[in-house]
Amino acid sequence: MSSDRTNEKTRSYGNRWTALGLFGAVAVTVFLVALDFRAMWLDPPIYPGPGVTGQARLSDYFSGIDGTAADTDVYFLEGEEAGGTALVLGGTHPNEPASSLSAITLIESAVVARGRLIVIPRAVHSGFTATDPQEGYPQVYHIETPTGVREFRYGGRGTNPIHQWPDPVIYVNGSGQQLAGPEVRNLNRSYPGDPNGYLTERLAFAIVEMIRQEGIDLSIDLHEASPEYPVINAMVAHENAVDLAVEAALLLELEGIQIGVEPSPANLRGLSHREWGDATGTKAILIESANPAQGRLRGPTTEALIVEGVDRYYIRAAELGLLYVPFGKEGSPLDERVGRHLQTVSMLLEVFSSADPDRTIAVEHLPTLGEIRQNGLGAFLAPPEK
Amino acid sequence: MTLIYQGITLIVVLLIGWHILRERRLTDQMEAALVLLPLILRLLMIK
Repeated sequence: MSSDRTNEKTRSYGNRWTALGLFGAVAVTVFLVALDFRAMWLDPPIYPGPGVTGQARLSDYFSGIDGTAADTDVYFLEGEEAGGTALVLGGTHPNEPASSLSAITLIESAVVARGRLIVIPRAVHSGFTATDPQEGYPQVYHIETPTGVREFRYGGRGTNPIHQWPDPVIYVNGSGQQLAGPEVRNLNRSYPGDPNGYLTERLAFAIVEMIRQEGIDLSIDLHEASPEYPVINAMVAHENAVDLAVEAALLLELEGIQIGVEPSPANLRGLSHREWGDATGTKAILIESANPAQGRLRGPTTEALIVEGVDRYYIRAAELGLLYVPFGKEGSPLDERVGRHLQTVSMLLEVFSSADPDRTIAVEHLPTLGEIRQNGLGAFLAPPEK
Repeated sequence: MTLIYQGITLIVVLLIGWHILRERRLTDQMEAALVLLPLILRLLMIK
């Protein structure tokens, strides 16, 4: 009886005026959240260091992405002496921050003495303009440098849906592999790409075209994965690069860095370590580090988790033997993950150069993991608003 | 394809707006207004 009366009262509160009031509230809310979402469309600055000798756009290699959100900056670091060419691709998955941050550190600090290094820091540029739904990711994270704090964008796993919509129910990639619909926006399932396909497939095609046109000898794709993922702290190598990866892993082990090597599965199609090698002959290697902010076992998804990498649920999971990497109280800090990536890249370049001295790629001022541990990653980044 | 989906979204937005105007229960009006938010953001290709 009392409930019926309440319903009657509630019923009587609604009318055309409340409807108009709600339309106004919706308009104000849309305006305010639009400001917040649109702020993510701006790229935090990258400051090219003394080693950068040129800059281009990826659309220079394939005009099919010109003027789209997929187009992205390409940085060249060229030595005075001729040698080989290597590609370092960061930001394939913008929710894997050590990937793009390692590429940015290369751009801002490395100098090439011989050969060429081509670096793309935001491979999926569109993915940096939105985070994934229901993940609770912060939009940005910060790194302290000696003269101020730098801000970097934390993005989603794939192309922003406003740039490629709708997703199909099942995505069949160019190699015929059937995948879940949202994977259609995942660059690392879209290789070797399609010049007439989805935006992400056109982006993949542009990257493969760049590898082909620049005659890139060694191509390295930087990634991260959750600590409970089996392929972690590892390199995944195309069969044409397995020897190189194994030798680099052995030498890294001597330097105290444990890293595994996995051969690229021949029937797992659409991924960089498979398709780059098959399509262009480049030595293709993908590197993974452990990012607890991506994992399903994580607690609160905060900026501290991204940067400091400490999570008590992962510590407990490690105690129970459920993880594929060591995970102690020190966690898996972003500095450490970037240091691992950079030292692995450095070692791969060294091993590649010693195997083929005519194609040497000699890079200087690339911080080691030890140096980053000692000084912090910020010491190797440009100061803000230089 | 994107334009078709935007068109579908526009129709749904208009229908929900019409529902809010005709509805006499305030709670239902408020629920419908909440549903409008993500639809308008996608219609305008903001999120």
